[in-house]
Amino acid sequence: MTLTETRRQAPPAVVATDLSKVYGSGDARVHALRGVDVSFATGAFTAIMGPSGSGKSTLMHCLAGLDAATSGTVHIGDVELTGLTDRQLTMLRRERIGFVFQAFNLLPTLTAEQNIRLPLDIAARLADQALFDRVIETVGLKDRLGHRPGELSGGQQQRVAVARALISKPAVIFADEPTGNLDSRSGAEVLSFLRTSVRELGQTIVMVTHDPVAAAYADRVVFLRDGELVTEVNAPTPQSVLDTLVRLEA
Amino acid sequence: MLRAALAGLRAHRLRLLLTSLAIMLGVGFIAGTFVLNDTAQAGFAQQVTADADKVDVAVLPGSAGGRLPEKVLERIRALPGVTRAEGLIRGGAPVLGKDGKTVGDVPTTALSIVTGPLDRTNVVAGTGPGTDDQAAVLDENTAAAQGFRLGDTITVLDRKETAHQFRLVGLIDTGVDQTLGYTGAVGFTTDVARRMTGAKGYAEIDVAGGGPGLKAAVAAAAGGAYQVRTGAELAGDLARAAGTEIGMLTTGLLLFGVVAMLVAALVIYNTFAILVAQRTREMALLRCVGATRGQVFGSIVLESAVVGALASALGLLIGYGLAAATLAVLRAFDSPLPTNADIALTPATIASGLAVGLLVTVGAALLPARSATRVPPIAALHGQSEEPAFRAGPARGVLAAVLLLAGLGTTAAGAFVLVPGQQVSMLVVMAGGALTFLGVLVLGPVLVRPLSALVGWIPRRLFGVPGRLAVDNSGRNPKRAATTTVALTIGVTLMTLISVVTASTRLTMTAKLDEQFPIDYLLASQQRDAVIPRSVAEGLRGRPELASVTQIRQADATVAGRSMTVGTFSGPVEPYVVSGSMSGFGAGRAALEDSSAARLGVGVGDTVALRTERAGTVSLEVVALLDGDQSSLPPVTVAERSFDAYFGAVPDSLVMIGIGDGVAAERARAVVDAAVAAYPTVRVSSSTEVRGQFDEALDMLLMIITGLLGLAVLISLLGIANTLSLSVHERTRESAMLRALGLTRPQLRRMLSIEALVLGLVGALVGVVLGVVFGWAAMRAMLDGARLAVPVTSIVLLVALSGVAGVLAAVLPARRAARASIVASLAAG
Repeated sequence: MTLTETRRQAPPAVVATDLSKVYGSGDARVHALRGVDVSFATGAFTAIMGPSGSGKSTLMHCLAGLDAATSGTVHIGDVELTGLTDRQLTMLRRERIGFVFQAFNLLPTLTAEQNIRLPLDIAARLADQALFDRVIETVGLKDRLGHRPGELSGGQQQRVAVARALISKPAVIFADEPTGNLDSRSGAEVLSFLRTSVRELGQTIVMVTHDPVAAAYADRVVFLRDGELVTEVNAPTPQSVLDTLVRLEA
Repeated sequence: MLRAALAGLRAHRLRLLLTSLAIMLGVGFIAGTFVLNDTAQAGFAQQVTADADKVDVAVLPGSAGGRLPEKVLERIRALPGVTRAEGLIRGGAPVLGKDGKTVGDVPTTALSIVTGPLDRTNVVAGTGPGTDDQAAVLDENTAAAQGFRLGDTITVLDRKETAHQFRLVGLIDTGVDQTLGYTGAVGFTTDVARRMTGAKGYAEIDVAGGGPGLKAAVAAAAGGAYQVRTGAELAGDLARAAGTEIGMLTTGLLLFGVVAMLVAALVIYNTFAILVAQRTREMALLRCVGATRGQVFGSIVLESAVVGALASALGLLIGYGLAAATLAVLRAFDSPLPTNADIALTPATIASGLAVGLLVTVGAALLPARSATRVPPIAALHGQSEEPAFRAGPARGVLAAVLLLAGLGTTAAGAFVLVPGQQVSMLVVMAGGALTFLGVLVLGPVLVRPLSALVGWIPRRLFGVPGRLAVDNSGRNPKRAATTTVALTIGVTLMTLISVVTASTRLTMTAKLDEQFPIDYLLASQQRDAVIPRSVAEGLRGRPELASVTQIRQADATVAGRSMTVGTFSGPVEPYVVSGSMSGFGAGRAALEDSSAARLGVGVGDTVALRTERAGTVSLEVVALLDGDQSSLPPVTVAERSFDAYFGAVPDSLVMIGIGDGVAAERARAVVDAAVAAYPTVRVSSSTEVRGQFDEALDMLLMIITGLLGLAVLISLLGIANTLSLSVHERTRESAMLRALGLTRPQLRRMLSIEALVLGLVGALVGVVLGVVFGWAAMRAMLDGARLAVPVTSIVLLVALSGVAGVLAAVLPARRAARASIVASLAAG
């Protein structure tokens, strides 16, 4: 059975149903999300796009259990996030979710290798050495493992962050503008590495970005505007993403 | 620019609150000391003024201990304008306690209590003796200590040690008179007082009268050899004398206040340094919109001035409250300090409190303010400011090495080279300590990382990821960590030093007591007079309960033209011979204490002339010099028979008694007590009692000093809390990331607690090392033959408490960090 077939048969990794998020009250009420229904296929690389203020970061935070939705439900695998305590959410993040942020991904006091192993250490789990070797191989940082973040380039730092997300074999990795702080060449490196991990390791990745070129690395792009899911593009190219964005902005 | 500075203050008011607290406590302590001092002085002044108002003119002897003859009083009484004049008598008259022994270590002072308007006695219960020669009054402390009540019969010895009985009719307050406070006082009518003390003449003559030139007239009548004072002048003298002791206490307390302010200065320095680092972009933005370096500098200094002024003002209130509370406690415990006066917050106190707080705050903020001016405008455009990488430059190493070498060298000179017991040795050790401390201060940032790795060895292994991250974080900003821990180090160093010094003093003294006082009981009178009949020692010598009985007899005589104490001994005694020999000690020979021999300028083999009462002048050959610090023999010791031949059958002055092996102390004590029961002036002291009193005094001192140093430690804990909360703020996004990765809230809290624990332990460890080293050096400088004792239990306890305190300091910052929402924290910065 090929990876593609597995993907088709497996249930979606993340499902959001009628998700709403309201900030503030009275006149200051802001609807960040208005009844979003979306699901993210297992083993797929999905990008969330939208203009500034469209609610894409809020959506990601709610999906990842970092923020609580006002109404609606989120499932990660068979676990429903609504009603989980802080501790249960923390455990869920440990076991099932990986993160790559735009910046401040790494602890400056730890070496690259220590940073990569950090989620396992926190969860007091043993590393799968084969997986570790494979991840290191893929990420191409073998000779930099003993360096601290300060001694690595921005692109290398983000690759360490991705490796860290991969190492605990999470059900889904959420990446929030992972290339936002990088030059285009480093950005391309990180994005191809993300795509490689989907292709070769079967990892599910959900990435928030506002860069059409970055979005084009994904298998599918969903578009948000004013807190609502408006459209999606499968097998995107930078041009098709850009066209969709321009249409949305109009 | 002013507006920007004030807005900055408002924005950081929570963070500045902890800083303010440090200043508030320091200023509060100093102001409280001043308030206490002023109130006590005012109380003294009130008391003596009330007293002295009754007296128009007082005549005092020209020198201390002098007397005013009866005829002076008569001449004054005869003066026109003098309505009344009374002579006051003072002299020793031992009061016997309920156990039939003299009370206290010195004879009680007997006073004459006059009747009429010149009576200055403050009777607090009952009445004065009036004209009743059978009545007496006691000071309330002696009465309370001995359990005497009004109506009881008390026994007082006269000058010839004949017992007289009196009815206790009143209790008096001795007020500001320090002598009476120490000796206790018993008051009689003037006649009885004269009879009891055998005093010839008066200690003071009080005059009531009026008219101009009264003082001059009295002075003329009294003659030139006496001091004549008006009532107001007398009050001033008395208040000043009483105030001297309070002044010393105040100075002592202020020293602790200075330590507290020093620690507060470090805390302030650190806070402002961190605030400036965190506001780099803000400073740069100010520069971008046209602020000059001077304006940036000014805004930070202004900020510190406002904080300093506000905190000092609050500190004054704290000081006022502190003093009020202390006075209330003192009042409850019947302390000798006057506590009735209104609590005085004088303008001088207010001014000095504000000045100290303001100067320390602004002074500590100057360096951070200077570094704020170095922020280039372009920094506004950079992203998040990078953590400054700390590199120990060679200059730091050289400076630290120079300071440490100089400090330790100076200390070693004070402790090993200079003569112990001199003030200069102590000062040299103190200077060495200060230099060494500066060296540690400079070296601090280099020391922090290895030390936190050392201290963190266990937490790192015990607490998993939070432990590991915490230990790494504690050494992350070495400069900041060093300043934070040094603040704690100061307090811990001083506490350790004091505990080492007290423990060593105890050990040294016990050893010395064992050497000098190899006896269990000592019989002597209050003044060590020759009052113990020889029969007492002779009777005791036959008792099977006692192993040794040694008698020492002495008399005053003229040796080589100088007045000296000559004595002899009977029984076993260790003479501590320095040179010469005691073998063949007999008639015509003498052993001299080394210092006395030096005074006479004689050595072994020389001859000295002794003028005796009965044998005329005899010449004695000096055969031995004795160590005066250790030997319990008199300055000039002769053989027993020779002594009797020279001075007659003088009673014993001291009897030293050793208990037999295996005899219970109570049984031996009963034997000794029975032997001297008939002699009220002969007191029995036991070496264990002496040691017990000594121990108690030391423990009390240790407790008080530790309590006072506690303030410095408290302030340094505020520093730890401050540094941590600022670090928490800096690492907001990092903490959020860790939480996103699955660190639970308790784990995040634990991480910060461990960081604080490590900081606390590092500070305590350095303090303990410094404290032990300098405690030992101070002991060597203070006492010859000092022995070192390290009170391990107290030091371990101190280190443990520092760790616990560090963890407590982390409670609030850790809670705030754990509560922060992940999403909001990620967006922050």
